[in-house]
Amino acid sequence: MGISVSVLVFTCISIIGVSGVFLITGLAGMFSLGQASFMAVGAYTSGVLVVRFGVPFPVAAVTGTLAGVLAGLLVGLPTVRLRRDYIALVTFGFGEAIIAILNNLSHITGGAMGLVGIPPMTTLPLVLLSAVFSLFFVWNFKFSKYGRQCIAIRTDELAARSMGIHGDGLKLLVFILSAGLSAYAGVLYGFYTTYVDPGLFNWTRSAEWIIMVFFGGLGSLTGAVVSAILLGTLPEILRFASEWRILLYCAIVLVIINFRPKGLLGERELGIIKKKTTPDTGRAV
Amino acid sequence: MSLQQLLNGVSLGSVYSIIAVGFALVFNILKFSNFSHGGVLTVTAYTGFLIATRFSLGLPLTLFFTSLAGGVLAVLIERVAFRRLRRNKSPVIFFFVSSITMGILLENLITIAFSSNFYSYPKFFQRTILEWKGFHMAVTDFWMLVISLVVLGLLMGILYRTKLGVAIRALSMDPTTTLLMGANVDRIVVATFFVVGILGGIAGVFLGINYTLYPQLGQLIVKGFIASVIGGLGNLSGAVVGALLLGILEVILTGIEGIGSGLAPVVIFFITLIFLILRPQGIAGKIIQEKV
Repeated sequence: MGISVSVLVFTCISIIGVSGVFLITGLAGMFSLGQASFMAVGAYTSGVLVVRFGVPFPVAAVTGTLAGVLAGLLVGLPTVRLRRDYIALVTFGFGEAIIAILNNLSHITGGAMGLVGIPPMTTLPLVLLSAVFSLFFVWNFKFSKYGRQCIAIRTDELAARSMGIHGDGLKLLVFILSAGLSAYAGVLYGFYTTYVDPGLFNWTRSAEWIIMVFFGGLGSLTGAVVSAILLGTLPEILRFASEWRILLYCAIVLVIINFRPKGLLGERELGIIKKKTTPDTGRAV
Repeated sequence: MSLQQLLNGVSLGSVYSIIAVGFALVFNILKFSNFSHGGVLTVTAYTGFLIATRFSLGLPLTLFFTSLAGGVLAVLIERVAFRRLRRNKSPVIFFFVSSITMGILLENLITIAFSSNFYSYPKFFQRTILEWKGFHMAVTDFWMLVISLVVLGLLMGILYRTKLGVAIRALSMDPTTTLLMGANVDRIVVATFFVVGILGGIAGVFLGINYTLYPQLGQLIVKGFIASVIGGLGNLSGAVVGALLLGILEVILTGIEGIGSGLAPVVIFFITLIFLILRPQGIAGKIIQEKV
């Protein structure tokens, strides 16, 4: 029972993170190799506030998320107007910088040994509720005016701009939102495991999330959720070593990208509620 | 800043420049950032280690065989990760994801094969320090500098003096026209990847000598990436200049009290950020525009 609860909690946390990546990569077509470091910002800010300063959990959780938003603003502001390659580089560099800071401020963060003694505040209902809320939020974003504009930008930025879509502002908005979601995922993570160390938030975790979004289909939120559940839960149940799990991911992605570039669901969404879907452009991007 | 620091910085920068050039070459012809190059660095660093320890060869032979292995590996990567995408004329994002995936794949293969243990290269030289008029230089640093310069010179020779070089430059300008001129684009791409793999192999051995061997070694690809950004993406000479600047900067930053090697990545990150705000086109000044 204990194991299945923890698998469920980690899957939900990963769904929150993946929904953030879906915003930034799936909708707006930007690559962040530093999503995990926003997660680190959230986890550490809230954790340090509670452990070192005795701040109550709800306040710390909100502050942690806001810290992630702020970090997103810092990284996003200069970079969203540049080529997509630069966004990947800057977020990667940001991840390295965050890990370096965490390792060096050892009197606050515990350094490489990690921050210990975070009280276990994350409960299963809280995580489930958060995951549902994040999905609800991202789902509505996708079908809002902003979501459609994002898809336009991803498909052809120049054309979108010429239609009067304010590209940079929109991309910044998406960047910040997804940083906030990642940070919140980090808060939940830290208060579940009661321990965080800098090594947990390296770029492979960010890449894993991108892979999940790709596996599910670039434009499909339900696809992303399904793949987060499949790729996140199955290996836990089958007890793969983590290296083998990542090898499996990579092999899957290579096969998908070569032979079924649209992913599991393409642009389609699964659901009982019939929503007006975006027109299928025929190509995945 | 002393002359000694400058010297150390240049020798570190010369290794970065080999990485940056390998990175920039692929960017030139396929217009995406090739993260799989990091995987090549990791694998070749370990290959070089195996060659050097198992067969106890010297540095020149180790470099030779490792760079060949790197070339073959890069060609394989092209075959698995990029060939079909090129045929399908897939969007750039796919190339990008494919290369990241390949990078992670290779890194984890090495982790599985060697576990996360640290290894270090055997000593190639009897003397460890060269001394000349009060300047000191590690012998390995000296050879790294010399070999890197020779390799860069050879590369420039290939690019500007041979038929292959003309083909590569043509491909970087316009793939369709190159095809129309009767050139075999597939063969040029494969040849470029082979050259890039050779560069990766040499850089891998140097990185392995410079640092200890660990599976995440390939993430130093980000140095090549930063150098390319400073120099201007896709511009070869810009990448070399950027790499040298980055090397010197790192040596200086490490020497400053209070920053040290621990916080140097933070400072480098902010400098890159400022650079991107002020001069996103890089030192070389050529903006790569997305065509309609």
